[in-house]
Amino acid sequence: MMRRRDPAAPARAAGVLLALLALWPMAVLGEFRPWLLFEAQNLRVIGAFLGGFLPPASGHEFLGYLVQATLETLAIASAGIALAFVVAVPLAIATTQALSISRLGPGPGRRRGDLLRAGLRVLLVVLRGIPELVWALLFVRVFGLGPAAGVLALALTYGGMLAKVYAEILESGEQRPARALLEAGSSRLHALCYGLLPGCAQELTSYTVYRWECALRASVVMGFVGAGGLGQLLDQSMKMLNGGEAASILLTFLMLVLAADGCSSFLRRQLADAGSRQRALAVGPLALAGLVLLVGAVVASFVALDLGLGALLTRAAATSLGDFLVLFFPLDLSPGCLQKVAWGSLETLAISVLGSLLAAVGGALLALPASGRHGPALAQLTRLLLNTLRSVPELVWATLMALAAGLGPFAGILALALHTSGVLGRLFAEALQNAPPTPRDALVEAGAPAAAAFLYGTLPAVTPQLVAYALYRWEINIRMAAILGFVGAGGLGQLLYVELSLFHYAQASTLIAAMLLLSVIVDAASAWLRRRLG
Amino acid sequence: MLHCTRRLALTGALVCALAISFLHPAAAAEAVLRVSAIPDEAPTELQRKFAPLGQYLEKELGMKVSFVPVSDYAAVVEALASDKLDLAWLGGFTFVQANIRSKGTAIPLVQREQDARFTSKFITADPTIKTLADTRGKVFAFGSPSSTSGHLMPRYFLMAAGIDPDVDFKKVAFSGAHDATVAFVAAGRADAGVLNASVWEKLVEEKKVDAKVRVFATTPPYFDYNWTVRGNLDPALIKKIAAAFLKLDAANPEHAEILALQRASKFIPTSKENYLGIEQAAKAAGLLK
Repeated sequence: MMRRRDPAAPARAAGVLLALLALWPMAVLGEFRPWLLFEAQNLRVIGAFLGGFLPPASGHEFLGYLVQATLETLAIASAGIALAFVVAVPLAIATTQALSISRLGPGPGRRRGDLLRAGLRVLLVVLRGIPELVWALLFVRVFGLGPAAGVLALALTYGGMLAKVYAEILESGEQRPARALLEAGSSRLHALCYGLLPGCAQELTSYTVYRWECALRASVVMGFVGAGGLGQLLDQSMKMLNGGEAASILLTFLMLVLAADGCSSFLRRQLADAGSRQRALAVGPLALAGLVLLVGAVVASFVALDLGLGALLTRAAATSLGDFLVLFFPLDLSPGCLQKVAWGSLETLAISVLGSLLAAVGGALLALPASGRHGPALAQLTRLLLNTLRSVPELVWATLMALAAGLGPFAGILALALHTSGVLGRLFAEALQNAPPTPRDALVEAGAPAAAAFLYGTLPAVTPQLVAYALYRWEINIRMAAILGFVGAGGLGQLLYVELSLFHYAQASTLIAAMLLLSVIVDAASAWLRRRLG
Repeated sequence: MLHCTRRLALTGALVCALAISFLHPAAAAEAVLRVSAIPDEAPTELQRKFAPLGQYLEKELGMKVSFVPVSDYAAVVEALASDKLDLAWLGGFTFVQANIRSKGTAIPLVQREQDARFTSKFITADPTIKTLADTRGKVFAFGSPSSTSGHLMPRYFLMAAGIDPDVDFKKVAFSGAHDATVAFVAAGRADAGVLNASVWEKLVEEKKVDAKVRVFATTPPYFDYNWTVRGNLDPALIKKIAAAFLKLDAANPEHAEILALQRASKFIPTSKENYLGIEQAAKAAGLLK
């Protein structure tokens, strides 16, 4: 009888119980009430709305809007990444330690160099830490309406991200050639071009392509605050509960994301192949043609969007931007405001924790069939499901969930859980596939049932990786949770939206500061947990 | 050789990129009148409503008129105050905000006859809600936070009736637009809501309202919407714009279509003083600091 029992069962049960107990206050705060979803009246409402999805809208006028919005979304993403690249390169060169002359040896400039780098790193944290949606909302105010706000928001957030990762890639590569060049007295630029780039170019390009794909998803989201593109169209249709239009837009969007996904992974595979063959990037006629095409696409994006960025460089624009920024200071630190912000922060934290946890559970459950444990047909099917889940951005899920679960934090939790399940499911499945099979096979051969063999043969080997993935997503989700409120899903975002609408800029900047602080705290907590568990 | 080509291509690309971003000046020619409206209804609907009015203005003013669609109330205010728009259809509260943000230079020109006596309708689909007092402890939907008839004035009158929305409602939701509020209430997402009387009447006429949604209270009248121009626009042009609106006459079949789409019987002149009441209400309701 004892043979079949799980020997660690009491400890596991106690752990689960303890975790549930710790999560209880969060569940209360996040208004986590799943049973509400299945109330008769609620099911009727959702049913009616989903029923409205069919048939998808295909009116002549509407399709015209749809095509235009799709092109606009593509152009925003491309132009945004191009500008982000321009922002990121100098920042990456300035912050990376791989190109530091003062670090070569004891010298007078060491302290100054370190200080400068530290300062720039703080700037990068600010650029990345404020969600692109918040940047977009601010830019819509300063630079007027339309896609320019979206492009600039992407340029800043993605500029910050690219700069950080570029700097890290440069540091992780082979350091000796660049070091030798610097020691021999060459300039930083030469050391970069001839010492670092040959080794890192492939990884750098690959990451940039991946970010373009992310920017495409992000540019949809930014439409929700009036920065043009598909998001704006979707926001309108959802608000008016026009199911047919929403269905058409969602379908278009899914196809766009899947196409970008395919295109980006194809390009990255090509790059990896080229890298493994020759160590350096192969620049043949094909690559040149690609480059010309790329430049053409970026130029076309700028022309199509008619951004008028030149207007931003005038003195009038600078003063209006200055006037606008001044309004945000000093922060409102009155007790009333702080109390509101603290409450919003707790709600946001609860949304991110519960959303990520649900996603980890959902992802794990979906990863089992997706990893091919139950046959290839089921694996394909679950993979399709996972792709769909993660192709729809959190904010879009949130608008759908606000309808299903009512306005408030619970909609945010569900939105994060759905999108992140898609992401984690895929990562988990890959981890399971890559797990060494021998321990499990040994257990199965020794007569252990399949479940026990999985629990003791496969799971221990992959658990640290799974936990690390989940924690990484938590870091992303805290940023997301902060903005889901823009569509009525509770937390800091809802407060920020109202304060910005009422021109209460001092309160708005307190909220933005709280978002930054929260994301820094969660980053630190997640890093600490990963170190402890890893 | 290859090396040279690569360098050439890269330099070329860089020059192109730079040229594009600099040579694309704000060639916003003076001859275009930039018009927008607060998105109190679906932006596509606003564009449809504006089309004939835009053509009429083009003819009357002898210049191009372009409509900029937006989905954020505050963005319209900010754009008007920073000279990115010339003419805007504002609500009472957004006008007060624009007046403050533009340091008192924004000029309200004309309004519809009914805007001088505007009201909001409180609606519900819940049979137990019969008076404003019954909304305590319920989920309540306003329109946009910046809306006069969908947020400010109803909040002000609720507070006058002894109901503090931030304390007495179970949850306050912002649907974003008037027609969205009706959809929220019809779908049971909010127990009760409030919207502008004009949009409500239009939705009822077009039979777009679910049968179980009904009006259970109406606010006292107040000043609302107007057409506002930025203060530093050419005074001669401002006069021409005002004259063009005031000339619209329902007896003229061409004008009748424009007026019908704007839901106006005719346009009348308006002035800043009309909106002092709104400003006080906004201060009393804590929306203006």
